[in-house]
Amino acid sequence: MKITFAYWGNYTIAFISLFQKLGINVIPPEKTNQQSIIEGAKISPEMYCFPLKANIGNYLTAIKKGADTVFMVTSLSGSCRLRYYGIIQDKVLSEAGYKVNFVILNQNFIDIYQKLKKISGASFWQIVKAVYFFFKKLHLIEKLEKKAQYLRPREKIKGQTDQILRETFPQLEKVRNLRELTKLKREIKKKISEIEIDSKKNVPRIGIIGEIFTVTDGAINFGIEEKLGKQDIEVHREMDVTYHLKKIICPWKDWQIQKKINPYLKSTVGGHGRDAIFEMLNYTKNNFDGIIHLLPFGCMPEVVIRPILEKIHQETGIPFLSLSLDEQVAEAGINTRLEAFVDVVKNHYNNKNH
Amino acid sequence: MTIGIPRALIYWKRPDFWQSFFENLGCDVLLSPKTNKEIIEKGVKSADPETCFSFKVFFGHLLWLDEKCDFVFVPCLKTNKEKLEYCPKFFGLPDLAKILTKTPILTETFDERKEKFEKTLKKLGKKLNKSRTEIQEAIKIALLKEKETKEKQKKDFFEKIKSKKPKIVLVSHPYNLYDDYVNLRTKEKLERLGAEVIFIDEIPIDETRNEIYPKFHWEFAKEIMEKVQAILDYDIAGAIEISSFQCGCDAVLKEFVEKEFKSSKIPFLYLIIDEQTGEAGLQTRLEAFIDTLKS
Repeated sequence: MKITFAYWGNYTIAFISLFQKLGINVIPPEKTNQQSIIEGAKISPEMYCFPLKANIGNYLTAIKKGADTVFMVTSLSGSCRLRYYGIIQDKVLSEAGYKVNFVILNQNFIDIYQKLKKISGASFWQIVKAVYFFFKKLHLIEKLEKKAQYLRPREKIKGQTDQILRETFPQLEKVRNLRELTKLKREIKKKISEIEIDSKKNVPRIGIIGEIFTVTDGAINFGIEEKLGKQDIEVHREMDVTYHLKKIICPWKDWQIQKKINPYLKSTVGGHGRDAIFEMLNYTKNNFDGIIHLLPFGCMPEVVIRPILEKIHQETGIPFLSLSLDEQVAEAGINTRLEAFVDVVKNHYNNKNH
Repeated sequence: MTIGIPRALIYWKRPDFWQSFFENLGCDVLLSPKTNKEIIEKGVKSADPETCFSFKVFFGHLLWLDEKCDFVFVPCLKTNKEKLEYCPKFFGLPDLAKILTKTPILTETFDERKEKFEKTLKKLGKKLNKSRTEIQEAIKIALLKEKETKEKQKKDFFEKIKSKKPKIVLVSHPYNLYDDYVNLRTKEKLERLGAEVIFIDEIPIDETRNEIYPKFHWEFAKEIMEKVQAILDYDIAGAIEISSFQCGCDAVLKEFVEKEFKSSKIPFLYLIIDEQTGEAGLQTRLEAFIDTLKS
């Protein structure tokens, strides 16, 4: 059995190591690119949301390499279309003539544990160790991403941080045990400390909010964080895997968020709809200079809350840009809009400080 | 006191119920007019460009009612009697309506996972300063009226099914089926082409139905799938599904509805409607579809 799964930004590395540690034969998905997206969109339902099409594209490239089982994590308790991702993807692939097994994992630790145990045949300790290793890697990846957000606008030689990241991630993929991981961590730390930065430099800050997949996957959002960083803007982003997992473990977080956003929205709208409003309110409170809202075209929760985000934008005057991404969006179009937006943000920043 | 009800979206889910409920409470009900070009233009201008067509129509109706009444009634529908969810876009509807209108919004959350439908209605009545007995009476009359129309529908269905003309099932949400302007008079067009049209929600279902795959958590999806299976027992010539552009739920549902009809070898046509759909284009497609039935 050779398994594959959907590509999800840099986190893919952590997922690969989770399955490898369990002794499952993994065919890692290739990085999402324009070609794979087009291939995926060709056989997917036209009206479905964009992440599904991107996922199908990932599966197709892996199936060509010999994968015969697909792992798909869906949320069987949410309100949005993610709930039906597993069955629709299964249907799409089988109608297109691909014979693959589909393992649909619910976002529920007991369900994931049982299914992983059944497939891998690993013992309890093995699974615990694999999951521990997975979290170690995940944590490192998220930490590096956060660090890069701070370094990019401040580095003296432009592009140095991204160069280091590009070298580091393939190395991290090869790391098989904790000892190697600690060693690599030390190396990375050394490399990062060698980057020359101007720590006193004041830079405008932008908060990125929106749907988790489009926000975190650089291959889907055309590396928006990199682009903004190069134009001397510090990017902040709350949404990542840890944030999402924390919310599953602590359901009262939702309740806390609801309390904060009550004047704007009185109920959940599925997905991370409420979180986007909450984050935007937080960013405006912390005196940020701009908000970028990313969503897949027609994403149900994000489309519903967008008028509310626009209302906050009108009330507070914080620059706001909403970008819908799908298979037809071209990088050049995104670049133009970002450039214009960066000008607005810098103006806003300068006016505020003088 | 005048209460405005937009004649779109949620209204069509229980058309008789809401109107008669408020009328029996002693309020005047102002229903927005049937959808027309002006309303759609208003809605398209004010709604988010990526939201579904039905939502745009709803906002058009809402804006028509603005400043013409004391309250606009926009409920927040979450779950129904079977504890199945409504479309997630409905959840935020009152909050979105609040942004657009100057007239205050009358709203209440209908979540039967947490409390019974009647209890929520009582809360709603209290907001209008009505007594307990008044509210109870109003609920009773409204439910009776709704039941009456349902029985009539059932009777009509059995008459329609006896007809000799080719029978075509229209699968869609009530707010697309009953709004003639939105669906571009598809029913009338099909009847003129010599077909007998059956709306999906007219089909009665008996209690004992096999489990459907997949298990939907949307009330309309479960209902439509059950009714699709029920109609397959009768002799029907073809099926047409209408969905509004950017309807997220229909993207899922269509896959399974289509599969159901295709596996029974019944011709299936999928139409997407939006503010730019032209009548001539629709006419051609319907004519072509009817021709395929004859051959």
